[in-house]
Amino acid sequence: MQPTRALLGMRYRKLRLTTKDVNKGYYKGTGSGSMGRHTKHGGYIIDWSKVRTYVVPPLEGFKLTPFVSKAIQRVHGQFDSAAGPRDPNTYLSRWKAENGFD
Amino acid sequence: MASPAAIRPSVGAALHSCRTASVGYGLRPLGAAPSRIHAAGISTTASMMKRHKYPGARDNKDHNKTRGESALRRTGTRWRLSVSDEPLPKPVAPEDLVPVETDPNHGLWEFFASREAAVSPPAEDAKHGRGWMVEELRGKSWEDLHKLWWVCVKERNRISTASYDRNRNSLGFGDAEARARDNEVKVTMRGIKHVLTERQYAWEDAVKLAENDPEIDLSGDGPVFTPSEFLEEEVEETAEVEEVDAKELALDGAESVKWTPDAAAAAPPPSEPKAQGEAPRL
Repeated sequence: MQPTRALLGMRYRKLRLTTKDVNKGYYKGTGSGSMGRHTKHGGYIIDWSKVRTYVVPPLEGFKLTPFVSKAIQRVHGQFDSAAGPRDPNTYLSRWKAENGFD
Repeated sequence: MASPAAIRPSVGAALHSCRTASVGYGLRPLGAAPSRIHAAGISTTASMMKRHKYPGARDNKDHNKTRGESALRRTGTRWRLSVSDEPLPKPVAPEDLVPVETDPNHGLWEFFASREAAVSPPAEDAKHGRGWMVEELRGKSWEDLHKLWWVCVKERNRISTASYDRNRNSLGFGDAEARARDNEVKVTMRGIKHVLTERQYAWEDAVKLAENDPEIDLSGDGPVFTPSEFLEEEVEETAEVEEVDAKELALDGAESVKWTPDAAAAAPPPSEPKAQGEAPRL
């Protein structure tokens, strides 16, 4: 069997490598992520801690939408320190005021 | 007896020719071979050796055995088949078909903006606000942000389904409006991720700060937070409690105080019950 004529000669070498190219050692993923590990016999053992699970909360009665009315002006936050929203002192004092006691 | 196959006629042909040869001169049995008998050069049968054309015959026949047969026009076959007598089932006419039952509460309906139209028109798609600002999301709880995220995911699925349908069926304009709507949803989702990341980093830094905070005890035994003002207040409180009426003590068995720096400074008498409904602090 022959490859397609368009790919003969040096033209194939200019294309990007795919998962089917190169004899050994070359691994190219497909963007799906690692879900486990390979066995030496060619099998695959799934590691369930690596498998993605999606936790969707119940959305009944939830009134917020992805959009905000354009009539509401955009107002940026105002903060005391240069760190702004990430300032640990602000976080700590708010915690003490609101959440210090269980 | 070995003889080359090429010159050996088949058994049938040989017998046939022998039979005709054994009959007397002038008498020919019915169905006999024609008078001119010749040995075939190859292995063959008598019927194959018969001449099917007389000299000078014209070929009038239409050699297309399936002429006139059409599945689209339902002509049926030209020749009888082995299944011609078998009663074949007839398909139900389209007007007699029973309509498919659908579940009005099926989850897949949520992939569509409306049930009447497959794709909402661009004017409807354009009716949306702006995406959430990060400052607006900062005030939201984890539960609200989690639910808002999934509302955004479902909206993006709806937009994507509509775009796919619009392109597949060439329904016309609407792609630009859909993309604008999608961009606003993505802005909201980006903001949610930003807020949660920010909270995580702030918490991590606050934990580091808390390790050096005298009011906070992270060892695990005893209360985590003991405000310094409270500790100073305790000395005064014990003195006041001795003076307080026994009746008040019996009534206010569980005193509740919400600690704030300002409130502690003002130091109202501990026997006053607070309205907040906080858990009693012993």
